[in-house]
Amino acid sequence: MLTEITQIIIAFAVSFIIYATIDVLAGLPREGGVCGARAIGEAVEESGGDLHGGYMLGNIVCSPDASAGTLLAACGVYLFGLTGGLIAAVFVYIGNRICSDKGYAGTAGAIVATFVIWGLANAGIIAPQSFIAGMVLAILVIQGISHKYASILLGKLWRLRA
Amino acid sequence: MNGILLVILAAAILIGTCGAAISRNPFDKLIYLSMIFAGALPFIIEKGYLDMAIAAAVIVPVTTIITLQAVWRCRE
Amino acid sequence: MIPEITELSLPALICGIVALYSCIRIVLEKNTLRKLPFLNVLTFSVTGIIVLICPTPLGTAAACAYFIGSTLESNAIASTWAKRAEKDKKDAADGTEAGIADGEAAQ
Repeated sequence: MLTEITQIIIAFAVSFIIYATIDVLAGLPREGGVCGARAIGEAVEESGGDLHGGYMLGNIVCSPDASAGTLLAACGVYLFGLTGGLIAAVFVYIGNRICSDKGYAGTAGAIVATFVIWGLANAGIIAPQSFIAGMVLAILVIQGISHKYASILLGKLWRLRA
Repeated sequence: MNGILLVILAAAILIGTCGAAISRNPFDKLIYLSMIFAGALPFIIEKGYLDMAIAAAVIVPVTTIITLQAVWRCRE
Repeated sequence: MIPEITELSLPALICGIVALYSCIRIVLEKNTLRKLPFLNVLTFSVTGIIVLICPTPLGTAAACAYFIGSTLESNAIASTWAKRAEKDKKDAADGTEAGIADGEAAQ
């Protein structure tokens, strides 16, 4: 086992890559799914950011996405192993349906994150509770530091895909 | 509960209360209310009242949605 | 009475510090819609704290219920704000451009 700080830093990088990749592949930055997400995207653009990145920030706020799937999958794997992660995927799907979203991104993110976290924990590299802290740090980087630069970064990722 | 977490959560509750009292915009007041609940829930969990915590976590958003229908008409 | 400072695990400490930071950012931000992402960060960190201080099956259920309920709340606040702004804009357009609309109707 590595030391705890190293584990958290590696977990931060892994969870950031998981949820950014799945959200961009699922096409979240294309448009606001609900009218609240559209309004948040326009408010972020008003402050000097990118419109498509703002739509993605709004979608993360307004319905459980791959980010929520990663966090809840880490919580499930921390307690029950593989089954806990799959139960968390069911919770994320229910939450998506409540928030009138289609729910592909959240469920796919939860299932992928479950297998990644379970594999890394079984191999003895990263403990699951490090993934909880890593995911909190990853969401802080996207939504908590500066909306302007985060939306510009997400807009660049979106143009790379499109 | 650990002392550091206790101080942080109590600070969240106090900041939320002062903000809800001071702010003028009704939507801001609802956001600060949500912040108070976020600070208060771990105290309920830590005492072991998990069923009450689940009930509160469902009741508070429903109450906010009902309050929003009143806020809709409120022009400041 | 000073609370006793016991040994705290590093993930719980990180979640607590992130929660405090997001509370301060919510107070400092002026725009209502741009407060909502910081509220989302607070929700994530509180979910982490709940799971870390109560690692039981019902604790996970409480964390999931809190997370989904809070997301629903943010969704409702944002969509109500958006609908109200849209209605305000429509009302203003009706008020100022009533003559133009009447002219179009006449044609």
